[in-house]
Amino acid sequence: MRHSLTLRIGPATFRIGSAWALPIDQLKRLYADYPDVEGAIADFTVRLQPTSAIRRWVRPSIFITGDHGLADAAPMSLAHGLLAAEMGMNLQMALGWRRHLLLHASSVEKDGRVLVMTGESGSGKSTLAAQLGERGWRLMGDEFALLDLDSCAILPFPRLVSLKNKAIEVIAGEVPGARMGPLLGATAKGDIRHMVPRADAVARMGEGGMPALLLFPRFGSGPAERPVGQGEVFMRLTQASTNYVALGEPAFAALTRFVAQVPARAIDFPSGEAAIAMVDRVWSEIA
Amino acid sequence: MVREEVYRREGAEAIIVRPLDDIVLLYHRPSGQTHMVISPVPEILDAMADGLPASAAMLRDRLALLYDLGEGDVVGEIGQHLAYLDRIGLVRPA
Repeated sequence: MRHSLTLRIGPATFRIGSAWALPIDQLKRLYADYPDVEGAIADFTVRLQPTSAIRRWVRPSIFITGDHGLADAAPMSLAHGLLAAEMGMNLQMALGWRRHLLLHASSVEKDGRVLVMTGESGSGKSTLAAQLGERGWRLMGDEFALLDLDSCAILPFPRLVSLKNKAIEVIAGEVPGARMGPLLGATAKGDIRHMVPRADAVARMGEGGMPALLLFPRFGSGPAERPVGQGEVFMRLTQASTNYVALGEPAFAALTRFVAQVPARAIDFPSGEAAIAMVDRVWSEIA
Repeated sequence: MVREEVYRREGAEAIIVRPLDDIVLLYHRPSGQTHMVISPVPEILDAMADGLPASAAMLRDRLALLYDLGEGDVVGEIGQHLAYLDRIGLVRPA
């Protein structure tokens, strides 16, 4: 393709090709401090291509494709090209990654121990991870946590943090502008702005840690906290994994070990500050 | 006379059993499916671990040696569990 970039995020290498310069230029700025892996063999290819020949020029319309694609993925406008590239990378991971059990979860690390947070889109797990990442924790990822099938460690996947709607101003207020991406208005998920993780999160993206606490955060009510039984934890984690079934018995063994060893709590919180206070308290209880 | 249904388990290694605090997980190797079950399903499967054909009445007798089965239609209840286990492929008609 005319414009391209090779990126390594955690253990995965992506080659992103685009018919337009804009998304690649934006990615190059935001991923400037990630390892230079130009020429490396990629695990996945992501392609941003015009929906038809004329759509490269007239009302440019992007079709996301790659090694793994969704037949009914809706085309996006070129103004949202950065989002298209990020979605393309997520899609490749979700559909194609087989080296680790992939959990749709955010994760942060402190003192070598990992806090994993999982929940539906809109639960606040991404924003909470981003905030903790600015408050003494190492951000390991806002979207995917990789569970190693042998060691049961959680490995980082610190891509750009995708902030949505109200989370944008919360985070933009405490993060330098150089670490923020352009505001992408009126996407299918509302307003989106990307945030570059802190330098230590990027520098240590090959370094995993053992999971010490699992939280099911839920923004919008509370504060309330309850323990979660292992059966419910197991069920929700299999639902949160895109490759549990594909990995078979090793995934069963790793996930049952995780569920048996890692304490789990559900927390409901009315604000980010309340959530951070709850996380600090629960963390000190289990430490 | 109605013939009593008889079932058997595949080899003991076909199902991996992992008890958690509130449920028991069963991983069925031949199908790759994970099942979440509660008592008395793990106990019934355990009583069939020899892989030999067994009826609900035979299993009731085996389980009665280990557990207090109480009153009621225990054979009918075990029969219903066996029919369910057959539907999800964990036991087969012998």
